[in-house]
Amino acid sequence: MDNQWAVSASGLAKRFGDRRVVDGVDIAVPTGAVYGVLGPNGAGKTTTLRMLLGIIEPDEGQRSLLGHAHPRDASDLVGYLPEERGLYPAMKAREAIAFMGALRGLDWRVGRTRAVELLEQAGLGHAADTKIRKLSKGMAQLVQLLGSVVHRPKLLVLDEPFSGLDPVNQERLEALILGERDRGATILFSTHVMAHAERLCDRLAIIAGGRRRFEGTVDEARGTLTARVRYRPRDPDRVTPELLPAVAVRDGPDWRFPLPDDGIEPMLGRLLAAGAGILNLSIERPSLHEAFVRIVGESVEEKAA
Amino acid sequence: MSPTRRLIRQTMTIARRDFVATVFTPIFLLFLFAPLIMVAFSTIGALGAAQAADHGTDRVRIVAIVPETAAKAFAAADRQSRAIFRRDEEPPELVTLTPTRDPAAQARAAFESPDYDAAAVLYGPLDRPTILYGARGTRAADYLAVLASGALSAERLGGELPQVTPRKLPFSRQRATLGGQNQTAFLAVFGVFFLTLFLAGQVVGTMAEERSNKVIEVLAAAVPLEAVFLGKLLGMFGVAVLFIGFWGTVLGQVTSVLPPAFAGMVGELSPAVGLPMFTVLFVTYFTMAYLLLGSVFLTIGAQASTMREIQMLSLPITIVQVGMFTLTLSGLSRPDGWLALVAEVFPLSSPFAMAGVAAARDTLWPHAVALAWQALWVALFVTLGARLFRRGVLQSGSTRPFWRRKGV
Repeated sequence: MDNQWAVSASGLAKRFGDRRVVDGVDIAVPTGAVYGVLGPNGAGKTTTLRMLLGIIEPDEGQRSLLGHAHPRDASDLVGYLPEERGLYPAMKAREAIAFMGALRGLDWRVGRTRAVELLEQAGLGHAADTKIRKLSKGMAQLVQLLGSVVHRPKLLVLDEPFSGLDPVNQERLEALILGERDRGATILFSTHVMAHAERLCDRLAIIAGGRRRFEGTVDEARGTLTARVRYRPRDPDRVTPELLPAVAVRDGPDWRFPLPDDGIEPMLGRLLAAGAGILNLSIERPSLHEAFVRIVGESVEEKAA
Repeated sequence: MSPTRRLIRQTMTIARRDFVATVFTPIFLLFLFAPLIMVAFSTIGALGAAQAADHGTDRVRIVAIVPETAAKAFAAADRQSRAIFRRDEEPPELVTLTPTRDPAAQARAAFESPDYDAAAVLYGPLDRPTILYGARGTRAADYLAVLASGALSAERLGGELPQVTPRKLPFSRQRATLGGQNQTAFLAVFGVFFLTLFLAGQVVGTMAEERSNKVIEVLAAAVPLEAVFLGKLLGMFGVAVLFIGFWGTVLGQVTSVLPPAFAGMVGELSPAVGLPMFTVLFVTYFTMAYLLLGSVFLTIGAQASTMREIQMLSLPITIVQVGMFTLTLSGLSRPDGWLALVAEVFPLSSPFAMAGVAAARDTLWPHAVALAWQALWVALFVTLGARLFRRGVLQSGSTRPFWRRKGV
């Protein structure tokens, strides 16, 4: 078993009818990492995850899940929260969690015991014997999430786990994901909410139009855009255009321009020498959100072209 | 854990969930006691009908207009002849009337009598009597003719018919009667058909639950769809076994207090392979019939996307079952004909036909072959059902056939 990658795939492709919804995606999730799959709606994230898990078969490409060429062989070591949540409404929360564990090879009795513990930890201890149909949507979603980790999987795959949760439960979920990571599990999750990815992901892939457009760390993603500089001189009269980059734009008392390729220092030296001074200077690194929009926007332009 | 053991474990997890989800509901009690409701209504209906019929038959009579001298012989012949009938098969009670001057008019008048309902009326000389009969009175007319013959014989023999005192001894035959075997074969086929008709059809809607509440994605990610299908089939089969076990026990207790005549009838059931082996084969063939038909119904039902579509499937399902039953019965009437062979080989009718074969023929090896053949088809249907579901519902299908896909 290759311990370096919990999940790896190359050239995954899938057609639905005449539409190629996934078009040669490569992905490699390091063992023990929190890995995000980001993309706009309809990008092919869910289809990619379903192919990686063996729920559906790819038309092209190869994949490996926890060292197994056939994802089914590793199914007992995987936990999965699908995008479309689903539980048996007549089941009690404790039974539902134990059942999901039993599907992955966990003994029913152990599953029930752990279910109570997990529910207590999630603040839902009172709902252990409540039927799913009587729980709120958010509570049911948490129960399903607990069901996907009750057997202590080596790989946890979460498809849009934050959707439908209120901010408090989103924080609980983030804590749970980090807890699973600390336990040693690898987490692979899809989202289109950048804030969660920014906080949680060790690495991420951005998928758009069925293709992977970016792979790397959050910083690397942000690094795909140039940082922006906002400069306010102490003496605006001493600022001449040749002291600033050609693309600099006046914005009230400030000047805005992209961070020069050779850094800010040479330009600052020139400004200080000219007596312009510095009243305020900020270098704004682009957010993941901006990087995402740019990367996805390029894919849309590419498609349109 | 070996793949086979894992598959069994996954299958049983699904089966257990389905069994528990079905049995531990109030609706299951309604299902379990449905036969009781049917029996209660049938009993009430039968009692009412019997009461009405008894009330009517109480007043039915056969009438003999004969001279007083012949009336005694007529009554004696009636006593003697009536003794051979079972109580509920006896002819109507005999009424004798002394002839008037116009016996024909008297006979016609007897049909209008306010005291009884005449089924048939006899008048005239005993060697050439005239018998009038009303609706459904031909048998009564024949019976009156027999009585006339008896009375006439007694008259000619000096007043009484000769008495015969037989010595009746019960005898148990060593081998099953051909009639008994045929009867057993029919009952075996009917039994398997009856049970599957009521129970296997339930399987058709079981995948609808997972589809409507989206659990199917959780199941499909965790276990192979083959395990989901087989597990559901076994879960519902467990429900069927519970149902049969319950009613089998109840009926077992009821039959032990039934009259000896019924016990005698049961004793007439004489399967060729012997009762213990027949019982085992009957249960096995019921299981196979359930699994075969159930796997087909499950496959079809899993493709239905709404409850309405599932309800629409109930008619074709019943027709398929009745078709298999009819095919088997046709084969049963000509055990060596090609139709019988077709019924034994065709997967969906094979369990019915082979249950009949167990009653009619004493060789056992065909059953081993048939069971293996049927098990193969169960596996094929389950695999096919899972693939169709994966392709159609989970959208795993592709425009390209699998042999043209690259590097998978």
